[in-house]
Amino acid sequence: MEVKLEQVSKRYGQKLIFENLNETFESGKITGLVGDNGAGKSTLLRLIAGLDLDYTGHIYYDGQPLRKPLYQQMTMVFQTPYLLKRSVYDNIAYPLELRHRPAAEIKQKTETMIARLGLEKLEKQYAHKLSGGESQKVALARALVFEPELVLLDEPMSGIDAASVSFMEQMIQDYVREYHKTVIMITHNTRQAQELCDRTVHLNGAWMGGNQ
Amino acid sequence: MDYIIAGFWKALDMIFSGDPELWGIVGLSLRVSGSAIIIAALVIIPLFTFIGLRSFRGERVLSRVLNALMSMPSVVVGLLVSVTLSRRGPLGHLQLMYTPTAMIIAQVILVSPLIACLTYEMVKHRGREIQKLGQTLGASKIQSTFMVISELKSELFIYTVNGFSRAISEVGAVMMVGGNIKGDTRVITTTISMLNSMGDYAMAFALGMILIVISLVINAVLYTYKEKRADV
Repeated sequence: MEVKLEQVSKRYGQKLIFENLNETFESGKITGLVGDNGAGKSTLLRLIAGLDLDYTGHIYYDGQPLRKPLYQQMTMVFQTPYLLKRSVYDNIAYPLELRHRPAAEIKQKTETMIARLGLEKLEKQYAHKLSGGESQKVALARALVFEPELVLLDEPMSGIDAASVSFMEQMIQDYVREYHKTVIMITHNTRQAQELCDRTVHLNGAWMGGNQ
Repeated sequence: MDYIIAGFWKALDMIFSGDPELWGIVGLSLRVSGSAIIIAALVIIPLFTFIGLRSFRGERVLSRVLNALMSMPSVVVGLLVSVTLSRRGPLGHLQLMYTPTAMIIAQVILVSPLIACLTYEMVKHRGREIQKLGQTLGASKIQSTFMVISELKSELFIYTVNGFSRAISEVGAVMMVGGNIKGDTRVITTTISMLNSMGDYAMAFALGMILIVISLVINAVLYTYKEKRADV
């Protein structure tokens, strides 16, 4: 899914967060969103996710403005993910249940995802009791299990161990290569921006610039 | 002093001998308050979860109104229901006055603001984060509402049990709309009140003890539930 911003501006009351952003996030690419604290990176991701509709300008998804069905095709993983008070298995299966997918498909996709994560031993444990790294893996798995067209990641790998970071990076990369989906992720990690992302975009208040 | 001791022993005898009148009163109390709390919870929890998940003008006003209604005196509720259900009232033709149904209606009105206020504040405080997650996973508004209820079920259960405590221990409203009719609308609190004024302490003590046991059981259930949830 291609995401195009046209003259997007956001204010919180009198405070201008960013102004007249024009950018295109290409399909099948991982775009890293970088910038100083307070530049509005998380805010921009929330606008793209449709969680905040109070802005001026236009955001187009494959040339279409945001409509209800589009919510079904995108997802967002937060820096501190909220995991449901259910088992790891149930958390990962949840988006598929919301979409009323057949039971056999739910089982197959959830088990595949759990195996990819190497979380077989934890699948029956309560997800909200897991450690930071494990929680983030479950949140990412839950976001990817229904194969969304657009994945928005708000610093999902900050504050977790190096092994988990490397594992999640590989998972994101595989997902984009395998399914040709779009990923936009906020990162403060220069190595990650260079190695994982196909492209980085700098958000700095009113200015946005990108490099390949 | 002797009459108190004698009354206490007689009360124990009534409890353990299975006195039909005594246990009939206890049974009606549990049925009336249980029905009221189930009806209130089934209506109020989904409704105020739905409202709590929305941003709108007047949120603070609603919070304050619900807070104020929470402490509404039960006699005022009794008065309002009496006026509505009495023969000359707008719903007088239903002939519900002095029936257990009238008592259930009064208790639903009495406990609803309590459950509504606590649910609303909890959903505003924690539910919106859960709703946000629901939205990012593709949940509809209805699905998000039920997701929030499911995630907050421990807290909502505790509020419901608190509501039951309030319902079963109140006397004003059920006295006014039920009339304390023997074998028909007589519940624990109205009977204790009546027997106290008559100086007949045996059954009053027995009912008082049962009410305390019910209260202890409720607290034990809540305590155990909270401990279990903390372990989850």
